[in-house]
Amino acid sequence: MTGDPPPHPAESFDRVFDAYFAEIYRYAAKRLGPDAGSDVAAQTFLEAFRQRGRYDPARAGVRTWLYGIATKVVGRHQRAETRALRARARLGPGRDTEEHTDRVDARVSAEGLRGEIAGAVAALPRGQRDVLLLVALADLSHDEVAAALGISYGTVGSRLNRARTTLRKALGGTNPMLTLEEQHG
Amino acid sequence: MDEVRMVRDSYPEPPPPTAQMIGRARALLDGPPRRSRPRLGWGLGGGLVAAGAAAAVAIAFTGGNAPAPAPSGTVSLDGKAAFLAAAEKAEQQPVGRYWYADVVSGQSYIMRARTGTYAITGAHDETFGWWGAKSGMGEAYYGRDLPARPLTARDAELWRKAGSPSSFRVRSDDRYITYTTKATKWRSDGPEKGTYPHGGGKFLDGKSVEQLQSLPTDPAKLAKEFLGEADAAAGLPAGKGLPPEQRASSTIHRVASIMDAPLPPKVRAGLMRALAAQPGVRAIGRDSDPLGRRGIALASGERTTTVTAADGRPASEAGTYRSRTVIIFDERTGAMLSRQEELTRSGGEYREMRPGFVIEYQTLRSAAWTGTRPAPPSELPFK
Repeated sequence: MTGDPPPHPAESFDRVFDAYFAEIYRYAAKRLGPDAGSDVAAQTFLEAFRQRGRYDPARAGVRTWLYGIATKVVGRHQRAETRALRARARLGPGRDTEEHTDRVDARVSAEGLRGEIAGAVAALPRGQRDVLLLVALADLSHDEVAAALGISYGTVGSRLNRARTTLRKALGGTNPMLTLEEQHG
Repeated sequence: MDEVRMVRDSYPEPPPPTAQMIGRARALLDGPPRRSRPRLGWGLGGGLVAAGAAAAVAIAFTGGNAPAPAPSGTVSLDGKAAFLAAAEKAEQQPVGRYWYADVVSGQSYIMRARTGTYAITGAHDETFGWWGAKSGMGEAYYGRDLPARPLTARDAELWRKAGSPSSFRVRSDDRYITYTTKATKWRSDGPEKGTYPHGGGKFLDGKSVEQLQSLPTDPAKLAKEFLGEADAAAGLPAGKGLPPEQRASSTIHRVASIMDAPLPPKVRAGLMRALAAQPGVRAIGRDSDPLGRRGIALASGERTTTVTAADGRPASEAGTYRSRTVIIFDERTGAMLSRQEELTRSGGEYREMRPGFVIEYQTLRSAAWTGTRPAPPSELPFK
């Protein structure tokens, strides 16, 4: 890919599909699970294909543009996302506290943390969640998130800050990251 | 405390997409035109990409004696010979300072007036782009909406009978859109347009003019470089995967998207031969495009589209029709004229239309080298 400009959707959509399908699927599957993720990825490319004439390289890269469409499509499946997050939240502690006291090994506590995070992400307003997940899962810069979602740079920053604050509070203001870091070595 | 990183780490890595997932997503793109795309649905459980695609819109290969929209008869041999003769004529054109391409596209809609059913072209637009031969010479993209209009002379007659309406409310996917008989001015700004003073020099797949000039002319090599992707993209070994008519249609779409680039005539001729040799692609003799230009054509096999009212579509759209993807070239110059989806068997929402009816098209109004910076034409492509 180095050196080559990204394919222009209006000229070579097949190449756009080849270059980005797996990545967009991965993002959607992370948010919704593989089955719904696969549907969302297919829908994203179908919409992108239909809008390809309107793609403007001056405004956003092809990748950013696709993430913007994918995020909108994910937004139509809020219930699926909430379900996915709740399912993962149930892996966390609280449901089975007795067991939790017995098992303090790193694996369980990492799973518990994931569960708490999933629950906290599920509780975020949609705008904040989209910004947070485009940064966390798609590695988009603030500029790219702004272009993908059609919001201002400032709005990206403020949504992200609010999301972080909410998460910090939800996780009790502790630093559970240490647990994960220890576990990962 | 880095919440972003925590969130990132908390999401498990999903399994990679399966070949089936990729194939289905790809098939949606290669599927029937915008208007009748399968509706995406939920609730069939498991891998449910398009409930519509699975349940209501069956796309099946139909071989055998397809009703040919063009004058039928012995199409294969004569058609192919004539097609290959056209490829021979791919005209030499000296490289100029600027390349431009002017593309007109439209989608047919059925208007059910009390005085008689007729077809119009809506979603009708024209895009014009030019590119300097070398980087730094600039490039620009323009677009305008074209008037919605009755598709053929017969449609125009019925439109007049209906009182010559100047706006058309049509159903597009799951909503209604109104198209009017007004054109807009050319615009070079806005979301999809622009002028890039420092651009230029990059054409098909970012290749320079020199790189295009040194492309192979051998059909097999060109097929390998440009046409071998339909199955690979679906994650499937070549030739096994997409149904043949879908592969052929997808290949025709790809060739059409390549043909507005400044390819040397021998490369263009090689690509035409490569396309004619693809499985599922057949010569169908002469055909005309929506601008009324006649040429020599290739087509994919037929595919069948079935729409059921159970899918939430109006009863007037329910039924089965067949169509194929057609690409037309100028017999004298070898230039591509048009890529269009044509009805081969009436039915469903197109039950009153005749074989040869153009469901959707993308026509290359013109593409050429010029010595001076090109400007989009003011006259409309249709009178």
